[in-house]
Amino acid sequence: MDPVNVAVIVKMEPDFSEGNVSYNPDGTLNRAETKNILGPHSAIAVNAAFYAKIKHGAKISICTMGPPVAESMLQHSQLMSDADELYLYSDRIFAGADTLATAEVLKSGILKMQGKMDIVFSGHRASDGETGQTGPQTAWKLGMTFLGNVIDYEIDPESRTIRVKRLVRLQGIYDVVEEVEAPLPVFIAIDPSYKPKFNTVSQRLAYEKYQKEARQRSQDFKQYLKVLNAAQIEADPKLIGISGSPTIVYKVERIPKGKATRQAEIIDGSDQEQIRRIVAKMRQSLSTMVIK
Amino acid sequence: MTEGDYRHVYIIVEHEEGKLLQVSLEMIGEARRMLDDFNKRYSSKEKVVAVLLGYNIKDISRVLIQHGADAVICSDNPELRYVRNTIYTKTIFQIATDREIAAKIEPEYAIQFKRPRYMFFAADSIGRHLSSTVLAHLESGLASDINKLVVGDLQITHQNKTGGKPMTYEKTLEMYRPDFSGFLWTTILCLDNKNPAMQKDYHPQSCSIIPGVFDIIKPDPSRNGITIEYVPKFDAQDLRVRIIDRKIIKSEIDFDSHKTIVSFGRGIKDSPEQNIKMIEELASELDAQVGITLPLSKKPFSVSQAVDSTYLIPDRVIGTSGRKVSPKVYIAVGISGAMQHISGMRDSEFIVAINPDEDAPIKDECDVFIKGRMEDVVPILIEEIRKQKQVVQA
Repeated sequence: MDPVNVAVIVKMEPDFSEGNVSYNPDGTLNRAETKNILGPHSAIAVNAAFYAKIKHGAKISICTMGPPVAESMLQHSQLMSDADELYLYSDRIFAGADTLATAEVLKSGILKMQGKMDIVFSGHRASDGETGQTGPQTAWKLGMTFLGNVIDYEIDPESRTIRVKRLVRLQGIYDVVEEVEAPLPVFIAIDPSYKPKFNTVSQRLAYEKYQKEARQRSQDFKQYLKVLNAAQIEADPKLIGISGSPTIVYKVERIPKGKATRQAEIIDGSDQEQIRRIVAKMRQSLSTMVIK
Repeated sequence: MTEGDYRHVYIIVEHEEGKLLQVSLEMIGEARRMLDDFNKRYSSKEKVVAVLLGYNIKDISRVLIQHGADAVICSDNPELRYVRNTIYTKTIFQIATDREIAAKIEPEYAIQFKRPRYMFFAADSIGRHLSSTVLAHLESGLASDINKLVVGDLQITHQNKTGGKPMTYEKTLEMYRPDFSGFLWTTILCLDNKNPAMQKDYHPQSCSIIPGVFDIIKPDPSRNGITIEYVPKFDAQDLRVRIIDRKIIKSEIDFDSHKTIVSFGRGIKDSPEQNIKMIEELASELDAQVGITLPLSKKPFSVSQAVDSTYLIPDRVIGTSGRKVSPKVYIAVGISGAMQHISGMRDSEFIVAINPDEDAPIKDECDVFIKGRMEDVVPILIEEIRKQKQVVQA
């Protein structure tokens, strides 16, 4: 039985947590002042890969496209997952890529990894760009079955198949949990609600063991890290960076304040008398419903 | 690009077992309005084309036509009963590049037809992923989460697209996308590379559209349209991906059965834990459900595990990235009023906002604006509600 081989694509994103995030006076993100971290959805994808290691001793390779400073984020990912290999795809020619051109880089990089991948994981979407397109587009370019919104998965290493549960929200109708079986390889975009469960004693022991190993490895993470440029991953220059991007950002503007839809009555928050009147009004609104 | 290679708007329709998702009709409505204007301006006769995949769905065609579609391309097949990404992507690709279908839609435009000019998907669990893979397959551009569309002839100077020279791009779709803060609008264009050094066409110009944004056209039973059946070609390998089970679940957060909703935003920031507890108390006095704004679901505050997992969760988000609500009473606590949030609650009957900043956009969207810090105002509010309840009971 071949060992399970998994890869994770991760993204460095602004840290939106209070105290780290900085907003401009107009309410927009101040990127210069905001720290960058491993994106929260990426972190969930890393957790999902770690689950494959604990259950099946999977080999984990983590990759990202980004500037040289992104290596500290890969170190953090290794600490979380005891990753065996780290890849940073870094080249000035990658700059300005839209999702299609980014997916091309990630595809080229993954094809260059040691051995064939059984599963590639990505996060649900980035907290800053929020398109959620890079994962599925990378999957398509790799020719892998794409499974999105995955909340749970189990691999059968013998039959080389996987069973996943997906959470599909059908707005205005209902939500569905769908169980899907697919032959490996597959590409999984992990849902934000994913939580790995380690039930058995042997799994918990494996958890301890790998965590210990992860701490050692991540102290020395550069030994596991390869920084590769466009030529080294043999990415087609026509399909990456600005040249490979069908879309451009034409303009960015402040969303104009719409016409006031309601004429608000303004009340001083310390005026108890007024608030009493508003509460009465609210109660009146609520009671008309009962009469209807 | 040669004028005439790209024609029509193709809309990927979403439904569940034949029940249409509202967003499908919203997309058709917007495409109808857009193309009516387009055809007048450019003296052309391009069509609104609905692409419908599923099983036992033929009845829906009529509904789509009544709501503004000129043509419906329908693939009715048991293998397409539920969405499986690979076979759906390939079927849509086949349909989008099929000249015989194009000939049935508008014979005059069929000879040159290569692909649709524009393509719309829904920005939801299904359309978000499907649009990504379809456009990866078509090797063209995609903008996500759009809430405004404009067609224009644009003068573009771009190092790469035009080789630094000004060039005109006709019939270009300006796709407006609100960013995560809700305060910025980014306009995305999908442009052919006209730079002679690296010519390449990028069509269709595509986007995913936020549900609930565009208006549905009033159905007109007398509207005419054609339905074209398409028999998809499947690869046997792709059918090995099987859906074994489907369970319908209800969201844990029920907004619809509450007459009052109390929502909070970043205004809780000075003491998040205590403030959320206070909002919880207010909500319980009013038998209200609790909602949050999108930024809060990104967990920007350190609070106890219990508060975090109860309140700072995507299921509670009200707005374009979450739920649309319309309760009798809506209380917005510490919410500035980003457009994304407003569009999720503006249909509420009576809206009260509590905010220290009189310039906050929420002021223009509420009936009563209580100016003050939530820490000061909410306790008074709770006290008054309790008093008035006692009066009634006495």
